[in-house]
Amino acid sequence: MAQMFPSIGEKRPKMPVFTVEECPRCGTKTKRAFKNGDYVYREGGDCPKCQAKTLITQIFAELIKLQ
Amino acid sequence: MVFFDFLREAILQSGLFDIGNLGTILYVLLFVGSTFIFLFYGTRIQAMVIMGDVRKSLEKLQGLKEKSRKEAVDYLNNICKAPTNAQTRIDQALEYFTIMPVDLDPNGIVGKLEHVIRLQDDRVRNEIKAIAPQADKVQLSVAQNMIEVATSLNMIFKIVRHFYIMSQKTKSYFILAQLQMIMPIIVQEADALVSAIDAFKLAQPIGDGLGPMVAGKFMLGKEKIEVERETIYAKTEYKGRNLLVMKAEGPMGSVGRPHVGVEKLLQDPNNNITTLIMVDAALKLEGENTGEIAEGIGAAIGGIGVEKFRIEAASVAKGIPMYAVVVKQSLIDAISVMKKEIAEAADKVIAVVQRIIEEKTKEGDTILLVGVGNTLGVGQ
Ligand SMILES: [Zn+2]
Repeated sequence: MAQMFPSIGEKRPKMPVFTVEECPRCGTKTKRAFKNGDYVYREGGDCPKCQAKTLITQIFAELIKLQ
Repeated sequence: MVFFDFLREAILQSGLFDIGNLGTILYVLLFVGSTFIFLFYGTRIQAMVIMGDVRKSLEKLQGLKEKSRKEAVDYLNNICKAPTNAQTRIDQALEYFTIMPVDLDPNGIVGKLEHVIRLQDDRVRNEIKAIAPQADKVQLSVAQNMIEVATSLNMIFKIVRHFYIMSQKTKSYFILAQLQMIMPIIVQEADALVSAIDAFKLAQPIGDGLGPMVAGKFMLGKEKIEVERETIYAKTEYKGRNLLVMKAEGPMGSVGRPHVGVEKLLQDPNNNITTLIMVDAALKLEGENTGEIAEGIGAAIGGIGVEKFRIEAASVAKGIPMYAVVVKQSLIDAISVMKKEIAEAADKVIAVVQRIIEEKTKEGDTILLVGVGNTLGVGQ
């Protein structure tokens, strides 16, 4: 029974997608909007602190609550 | 005449036709009447209500089916640069069917099943290549995923429509009632499938990509070796143990053939693998939290069972333990753009895997770690 009917889940609203770039040298994480061609473990832009090449470590959808 | 006068007098005096009593009579008539109506026509009325319900759901399914087809056609035309006259071929591809092998004699069924599924996979892939020869690897895999979604929705719509028309023709209340009972689940599943299209189109990682994300992190900067079609592994080390890490080749939208990879690496005498660890996304039950991590034993891999069967067989032949780490998610989460909770679970899963390695193996051992799932948008 449980095997046959797992949770289908709630219908999701349109959520913006973000890309997280992590600097391998100083560990700085920058979050920006997803750009076409991004994928996890692809080389990102330069680190804003130490100018080293960053690595994309996460791409995810997040619900932003406007207050 | 005297008798009628008397009767009139009697009726008027009885107050039977006073306004207040008229109401009572109407009420009684209505009550008795409706009892008979529901007694004789109850099922028919109910059937009409259900019919309306099912028709509404059917219209929704049709809308979803058409949306997915349009998205697939648009993607092939605009992104993969397929010629505009390719539509008929795409429509043909949506009608492809697969005849499952007979299971009267179950001996050897897994091999047959795998053969049939591979043929189906190859056929769709070759068809897309023929429709859009200019598309790159990622685009081809995305188009294949989108065609698969459209095919599933097409199939769901057709089957539901079949039962709907059949219940109309046979006036069978029971076919209709069964249809109505499962309709909410079918519509939700169809909704989930459609929500996957948005992620596919932009080649964004989906919730199911968690396993590849974990494996990919271990493989960073290491030499990748192809072990089977669309399946790669890398050699690395962790606290004195040799680590072989396998995943489907990203960032294409593919699950690879991890079962063949596991088989080959386990059978290779040079490797001498002593432990198998698998990381996968698992469908959660209602009430469980998205992104929850659970540990267990066994081959953590979905599908119709071919992959699981071969991994289990290979592991039994070698007599090595299988550890599983899964991250819970709903069906929608598993096939839509990865949620934040799931992306953040990846690092926690890596910590769990490292702990399992430390606790269950000793220095000098060789461990095979497999990240199972669709690796769309996840490199290595
Ligand atoms: Zn930096």
